[in-house]
Amino acid sequence: MIHVENLKKDFKKTLKDPGLKGSLTSLIKPKHEIITAVDDISFTVEEGEIMGFIGPNGAGKSTVMKMLTGILTPTSGTCLINGKNPQEDRKKYVKEIGVVFGQRTQLWWDLPLTETYTVLKEIYQVPDKQFKKRMDFLNEVLELQSFITSPVRTLSLGQRMRADIAASMLHSPKVLFLDEPTIGLDVVVKDNIRKAITKINQEEQTTVILTTHDLSDIEELCSRIVMIDKGKNVFDGDLKKLKVDFGQSRKLDFEFDLREIESVTKYCETMKEKYNELSYKIQNNKVGIQFNSDEVTVKEMIQTTLSNVNIRDMVMKDSDIEEIIRRIYGKEVSLNEE
Amino acid sequence: MRNSLKIYKPFTLTGIQEFMIYKANFLFFIGGEILFCFITFFVWKAVFNSSSSDSFMGFTMTNMVVYLFMTYLSSILTSSDAAYAIGEEIVSGSIAMRLIKPVNYDVSFLFQEIGNKIIITSIMLIPVIFGIEVYKFIVSGEIQFQWIHFLTYFLSIMLGYIISFYFNICFGFLAFYLKNLWGANMLKESIIRFLSGAIIPIAFLPQTMGNILNLMPFASLTYTPVMIYMGTYNISETIFFLGLQVFWIIVFFGLSKLIWSAAIKKLCVQGG
Repeated sequence: MIHVENLKKDFKKTLKDPGLKGSLTSLIKPKHEIITAVDDISFTVEEGEIMGFIGPNGAGKSTVMKMLTGILTPTSGTCLINGKNPQEDRKKYVKEIGVVFGQRTQLWWDLPLTETYTVLKEIYQVPDKQFKKRMDFLNEVLELQSFITSPVRTLSLGQRMRADIAASMLHSPKVLFLDEPTIGLDVVVKDNIRKAITKINQEEQTTVILTTHDLSDIEELCSRIVMIDKGKNVFDGDLKKLKVDFGQSRKLDFEFDLREIESVTKYCETMKEKYNELSYKIQNNKVGIQFNSDEVTVKEMIQTTLSNVNIRDMVMKDSDIEEIIRRIYGKEVSLNEE
Repeated sequence: MRNSLKIYKPFTLTGIQEFMIYKANFLFFIGGEILFCFITFFVWKAVFNSSSSDSFMGFTMTNMVVYLFMTYLSSILTSSDAAYAIGEEIVSGSIAMRLIKPVNYDVSFLFQEIGNKIIITSIMLIPVIFGIEVYKFIVSGEIQFQWIHFLTYFLSIMLGYIISFYFNICFGFLAFYLKNLWGANMLKESIIRFLSGAIIPIAFLPQTMGNILNLMPFASLTYTPVMIYMGTYNISETIFFLGLQVFWIIVFFGLSKLIWSAAIKKLCVQGG
């Protein structure tokens, strides 16, 4: 469905020295620097797949999305979506895709929301009957009814985002590009939006690519993850693989008798000194120890803890995705993928 | 063709609706223009009063009044906000939202603004023309209105608007390099006011300069239609100047496409 091969994008950036003098020099004799925002990225997405596209701020996610949607032209490399090159016949291509940029809106700012949908209906030439059916469906999953006659500029962020997502789905696109569709939204709205995306994906086999910083989006929606950093591919696979590849991080939680707090603290300290990647947190009578299972095995950890501390209750936790990603972003994990 | 009209029709309708929302804005704009128009009127009145003969450079005071108010009407009808609007979209990066729609970038703008123009034309055209004709009737004592001049004027105004639109599109693309168009826009407006004869009739300028300006695109915006309305041109001249307008449309249309295809490759969307 989507084939991206060796995609690369360079930007030319004008350099300016600080201060007024710098401004003047750059006005007369500008210095340029080439910045590679996206560097040799390749991936494929199958039809009906929901792919989570993640990476820290400035990793190049949005740039890739803009190339995939035909807004930007790649410096080199190709992307083929549904057999079409986005840059070649833009008008024909964008008919088959739906796009949401969470930070912008495609709605007509000054007009009632319904007007935007009427315009879109004509632009995409959606037949009356299908349009009605579609609107009913979108109304149902995104609950637009209560504000559909209000001017767009009066909508709250959550309402606007739902309206924007509805606008991108109106013409039943084959591929949906969602760039941070849940940015700045509360839990309930996020949930609605996730439901809508899942429903569309299941009922129509819509392929979805979404970028997000909210990892619960990823956990609930995505069967597949591509992670990039500094314009380079860092990880490609499903959630399970991510946990296996980078998930050596484990967490041991246990409760103890408050009277023994001194010996528990002492034990934790000695463990911390012994192992590089171990950290702990004590709260009341609860302790959480985070450790790397490559450095100290789970079995060993449990054994030493049991023999050193008098514990009441204990839980061994798998690494959660947030922890893994924090570590990857923070470059704690060696990127053995490359 | 009919199909594409159907696609762009909603742009015109929303253009009309958007216009309605900002009525006050428009009223202030018209008020300012009327003020400017009367100031120019009094300046020229002083010029005519101090002249010993009835006419000045071949214009009588009546001609001058008709000229001033017709120019005022025409420059409003042919003006285009495209440069500003495009500049804004490029600078803020919201141009991306237009690019993800299966429509032509320029045509969607054009039809949106036509929505605007339909309203302005229906509000202003008849009253101003009527006022001018009443004035001419009072001064001369006879009805001088001619349908043929009016209709050709209307045709010429529409051509003038399209030139203005595509010229502004080209100009708006400067935003790719300048990143902010406000200053450049001010400069452009003043230059156009002068070159299009809105401040001083081109006929008053030295002949060679006048001839050159007449052939330039800016005269095609307002000066040509006004001259047609005033009946200054004979048939062959009228046809020549209408042809010239079509020529400039083709030039600016082509130029805008050229710049666009070059710029789109270099486009970098600003802000996220």
